Amino acid sequence: MRAALTPFVWIAVGALGAVALGVVATTRGEPINSIWLVAAAVCVYAIAFRFYAKFIAAKVMALDDRRATPAERLRNGHDFEPTNKWIVLGHHFAAIAGPGPLVGPTLAAQFGYLPGTIWLVFGAVLGGCVQDFVILFASMRRDGKSLGEMARDEIGPVGGLTALLTVLLIMVILLGVVALVVVNALRGSPWGTFTILATMPIAIFMGLYLRYWRPGKVLEVSLIGFVLVVASILGGQAVSESPALAPWFDYGAMALALGVIVYGFAASALPVWLLLAPRDYLSTFVKLGVVLLLGVGILFVQPTLELPAFTRFVDGTGPIFAGKIFPFCFITIACGAVSGFHSLISSGTTPKLIAREGHARQVGYGAMALESYVGIMALIAACALQPGVFFAVNSPEGVVGRTPEAAVATITAWGYPVTVEQMSTLATQVGETTLMHRTGGAPSLALGMAHIFSRVGGVERFIGFWYHFAIMFEALFILTIIDAGTRVGRFMLQDLLGHVYKPLGRTSWMPGVIGASAAIVGAWGYFLVQGVRDPLGGINSLWPLFGISNQLLAAVALCVATTILVKMHRWKYMWVTCAPLAWLVVVTYTASYQKIFSDAPRIGFLAQARALQASIDSSSVAAAQVPATRTLIFNNQLDAVLTGVFVVLVTLILADSIRVWVGILRGQREARVSEAPFVLTQLRAEDL
Amino acid sequence: MSALRTFGRLVLGILRELADENAYARHLARHGEAPSPAAWRRFTEERLREKYSRPKCC
Repeated sequence: MRAALTPFVWIAVGALGAVALGVVATTRGEPINSIWLVAAAVCVYAIAFRFYAKFIAAKVMALDDRRATPAERLRNGHDFEPTNKWIVLGHHFAAIAGPGPLVGPTLAAQFGYLPGTIWLVFGAVLGGCVQDFVILFASMRRDGKSLGEMARDEIGPVGGLTALLTVLLIMVILLGVVALVVVNALRGSPWGTFTILATMPIAIFMGLYLRYWRPGKVLEVSLIGFVLVVASILGGQAVSESPALAPWFDYGAMALALGVIVYGFAASALPVWLLLAPRDYLSTFVKLGVVLLLGVGILFVQPTLELPAFTRFVDGTGPIFAGKIFPFCFITIACGAVSGFHSLISSGTTPKLIAREGHARQVGYGAMALESYVGIMALIAACALQPGVFFAVNSPEGVVGRTPEAAVATITAWGYPVTVEQMSTLATQVGETTLMHRTGGAPSLALGMAHIFSRVGGVERFIGFWYHFAIMFEALFILTIIDAGTRVGRFMLQDLLGHVYKPLGRTSWMPGVIGASAAIVGAWGYFLVQGVRDPLGGINSLWPLFGISNQLLAAVALCVATTILVKMHRWKYMWVTCAPLAWLVVVTYTASYQKIFSDAPRIGFLAQARALQASIDSSSVAAAQVPATRTLIFNNQLDAVLTGVFVVLVTLILADSIRVWVGILRGQREARVSEAPFVLTQLRAEDL
Repeated sequence: MSALRTFGRLVLGILRELADENAYARHLARHGEAPSPAAWRRFTEERLREKYSRPKCC
């Protein structure tokens, strides 16, 4: 009976999805309820998971449940351990979900809700989910090898080294840009700054609690930590309202940036158990809780999308970042649609936990679909704001004008009415002095989430608490990424430098540790300071750079995936990985070309450098500002060079991969896969 | 009711995995140790070194 009904259920899901997509795609000139976006996205994910992912599992990769996975063969009770598939799914989702799927869609909302929605949904099911799934499968068949190791083994030594260098450079950009998001969210905000500073002693208390008082009781201490963090949000309100205390926590962007840099260096040198690990536990649980709460909140409140399907900024003149939908929407939303970084997670811990090969579909494909849905929720939260408010929060001074009057006049003239009083009232409601020019996406996302959360409770006067709760949630895991990323960057740099001078490669040699830490912090700190000084808000140049690098890493991962399919003699299914690879190559190469060579100063790094040089030459820059302007010129040239380096690195790995594919397809090269040998599983269903 | 219990167990299982409590239990079983501050320190040294030698996702 159930089997007979199944086709009808899928027909109903397909019909609902088609209707919802139709409504989302064709509604113009009137607000649309967000529930249509939810229905369209969920139906597409369900159909893609049921049919496309199953096709990939059965035909392309031929997953075999009789084959013992590394979790079973190499079981050591430590990192290799066969684990329930839902637990692995939760673990994998928590590992891939970062600030990217929240911030990217919020920024891309400047084009309207439709471009971001389409890319999030279809980019994920045809690209991101496929990448995560295939890389997870490949790593699982190779005893949990990393992406770099697989690139070296399957493509060649050039591929391996290129992957390592690409990851290191992406880390530097990533850390710089996420630090900028935090700085922009906290500047001039005593409430937010107090709350975030309070999370540090709370995390240290948690670390000491775990180490000395209640070893192993991570859930217990995380619950205590959560209560303390909520108390610190309430305390932050009291601080911000106190004329005596508020100035102690009121900092400008540069002071906060320097604080984050010093923090990054110090935190990466502290023992992991003291600050990083306890905060990471807390951040993971808060992240999952907030995602769940946002999902429930959207279903309950069903907010109306106030931003239109398309804004006037599809022409490339957007205030948040410059450039047309193609290619910039597709690099602004990286995580949430396709994220190269996920391939590092899919070839990390996760393949060592999978008990049955068939579980890779739920874990690899399913977790990425969930992440994409998080991106949809962030887009809904951002688009639920009044368009004028959205642009007033996200537009930099250099584009809309320094004073609130000038900014609202510019934004209103664009056709998105907003008033100074409206912004002032909103800022007062959330306990801030101003919400203008808060670029980076975090404050507008927090505002959207706060509106939804406060309406769930039915008590809208708590909007200030919810705004700062959302800021705390974003800052908490961004600081964890900064701390952990600096450490990992240091290890990678030491690994590279160890080839030049052996002691530098030893992670216990203090001069090497301090030098490498300083180099990594200095590198991302440079980009952070660059972003703070940028009159266009920093996000305009740094987020596209991050998006390009992340998508190029995805191209590297898809090169590895395609090479593996070719070596498995699955060339008739090469399109499964080649189609997203081709799309990413076109998108990233176009975006890179435009970011380097476009004649529009807000898009092209070199054009911006030329425009600044021209302003010095024509003496339109005050003498006192000339050194700062020269620094801006250098920064733009540096960003252009870096974008070029990314493209060269990926071109190298792409050319190397194509050489391997052609060699195998022509029969000039042996198609030898480096899979672990087949061993029959001994696990029984009840063991899982 | 039993479905709810199963769901609750699953959620707790995910939370314990994310909290490394399951991994700690496996560590104790593998080494035949009882929970103690020293065992936890040995476990975390190994676990956290590996965990934070990999990049965290964006």
